[in-house]
Amino acid sequence: MKRHIKQSTMRRLISLAMLLALIALFGVLGGMSFLSTGNFSEIFRNASVVAIVGVGVTYVIITSGIDLSTGSMMALVAMTMANIYAYTLLPIWSMILIGIAVGLVAGLVNGIIVAKLNVPEFIGTLATLGIFRALTYLIAITDANGVIQSQPLTVPEYTVLGGSIGAVFYVTVAMAIFVIAGEVVLKYTRFGTNLYAVGANKKSATLSGIDVPRTRMIAYVIVGFCVAVGSVFTTARLQSTTALLGSGFEFNPIAAAVIGGVSLAGGSGDIIGTLIGSVFMATLENGLLKLHMNTAFQYIIKGIVIVAVVIFDSLYRKRMDRIAKEHGAQAEEGVGA
Amino acid sequence: MKKIDWEKMSKPIILVGAIIILSVLRPQSFLTANNFANVLWSVSVIGIMTCGTVFVFLAGGIDLSIGTLAGLSAITVVEIIDKMGATNASVIIGIIAALCVGAFAGMVHGLIITRFNIPAFLVTFAAQSVYLGLSMVITNNRIVSAREPALFTSIGSMKILGFPLPIYLMIIIALISWFSLSRTTFGRDIYAVGGNPEASEISGVHVSKDIVLCYVFSGLTAAIGGIVLASMTQQGMASTGSGYETQVITAAVIGGVSLLGGVGTVPGCIYGVVIMGLINNGLNLMSVPSTQSGLVQGVVIIIAVAFDALQHQDQSRKKVKRISEQIKGTASS
Repeated sequence: MKRHIKQSTMRRLISLAMLLALIALFGVLGGMSFLSTGNFSEIFRNASVVAIVGVGVTYVIITSGIDLSTGSMMALVAMTMANIYAYTLLPIWSMILIGIAVGLVAGLVNGIIVAKLNVPEFIGTLATLGIFRALTYLIAITDANGVIQSQPLTVPEYTVLGGSIGAVFYVTVAMAIFVIAGEVVLKYTRFGTNLYAVGANKKSATLSGIDVPRTRMIAYVIVGFCVAVGSVFTTARLQSTTALLGSGFEFNPIAAAVIGGVSLAGGSGDIIGTLIGSVFMATLENGLLKLHMNTAFQYIIKGIVIVAVVIFDSLYRKRMDRIAKEHGAQAEEGVGA
Repeated sequence: MKKIDWEKMSKPIILVGAIIILSVLRPQSFLTANNFANVLWSVSVIGIMTCGTVFVFLAGGIDLSIGTLAGLSAITVVEIIDKMGATNASVIIGIIAALCVGAFAGMVHGLIITRFNIPAFLVTFAAQSVYLGLSMVITNNRIVSAREPALFTSIGSMKILGFPLPIYLMIIIALISWFSLSRTTFGRDIYAVGGNPEASEISGVHVSKDIVLCYVFSGLTAAIGGIVLASMTQQGMASTGSGYETQVITAAVIGGVSLLGGVGTVPGCIYGVVIMGLINNGLNLMSVPSTQSGLVQGVVIIIAVAFDALQHQDQSRKKVKRISEQIKGTASS
């Protein structure tokens, strides 16, 4: 008898193989400058913010939604904190708390637009992408000539968050906590099960007594929280913020989730997959930089990779469905005999 | 007593309202033919692109790539003119090449979306990034200027009967779109596909082929928009056209196009484009910085789409009520 590997396990192995193949490719092309310990800790550092935001984005995609506003939201949170830092004497911890509150409110706004006003997810969050960015410009600090300035955030108690213990950066530690907590909530709580149910079929979820709008809204609020935390670590590392912070960032967590096997149709995928996808994206960026390819090539290759993975997934799922159907037919025959 | 159909009346009321507000705000200059031409000129590129992308919206899809695709087309034409020494022949070759880029890109979007059954927003969102990257690679992050020859610069600025050429282009493309949507089988099929893809497939509509054609048309008008934009500004750079996708979506939803597919008209789109022009004009008037345009557009999109979704819900609720009453009626008799 043949042993059958579970479909989700198989998909996990495929995304891991993709990551290893990418590392091998850059290892051959880039040599030691790519394969050093320092570089890997850098890759993990870059993957961390994507993975932290990816936790929330994965929840939303599992409910068959999408969030295109995370990059602008990150800038809005950062600019709010920069304003508090520049104009008030509030302690650093309360500055961070207010930043997180802004993230939660922004997530709630997305949730209300999508779940209560029934605006299609990608339109609603495309609109808030513009709105959050505009608000960031509105509160951006300008000099005497009205020119928007890069805003420093250089207080030591804050920038320490950008540091590391040995080769492991604090942001990577935070990422580990987020990924573990995110996976536990997804797999072992009622809320997590509800997310899958909503994504698989909204009607049957409603009929089984799940408050669908509330579940979707909470998923968006969690994105807001994750983005705010990501924003804190990003600005702590940069020791400053600008009105342009995070533009184009929204692409990364979505790509990470898709590479990690989270289906855009909803109802399947998990946080570990998104983590693998985040490391994949960070490795790709890092490797391209090491090969002296500038951001332009990154835009091109990222776009092609995400479409290629989605095409692969589409073909792979079709094939798996066919195999499952054949097995079903065989099983029925067995029962008949 | 006759009831007023607010749904039908809302469009003219908003238009007249906007014109009155703007004339009050700037009495001496707003109500002139010159200013009106300016308003139309400033939105003609959005108009051209909306008239093509509306096909995609009607078929139930979305095209987020049109902004950077317009940029890529603009760069294609400007680079060819630059490399070929600003001759008239280079302008024609450049324009043809840019149109090919747009149509080809649209075809690729359509094929990927229909062949592999992938969400349209994801494909066009990823494509947006690819085109931006390509534009940056081609231009090497420079601004490529095209002040010559006159054949090229006149596309954006030549005036016929007091109105600039782009306005005529917009009207011509709007007429073509309007004709193919309301007077041809293809147009009727598009509405059917957007309304219910499965049902139209069963009734013999070539759904995949029609959807691919919609994206080709969207890509083509994005390319035309890019060419006009390059001619207006006499230059091309990687950021040319970026953000136009949001403006086009805003214009379309103001004009009553449902992003759920199957509902919307070309005259509606043109109305949406004119309102966009008036909004931009009004924001200019109140000296709101351009960085704030995303705020206005975002709020307008959310209100319009939420209103559309609400009506959808209302209709289906009424339908359920009607059917259940019918069932009750037959049961009691």
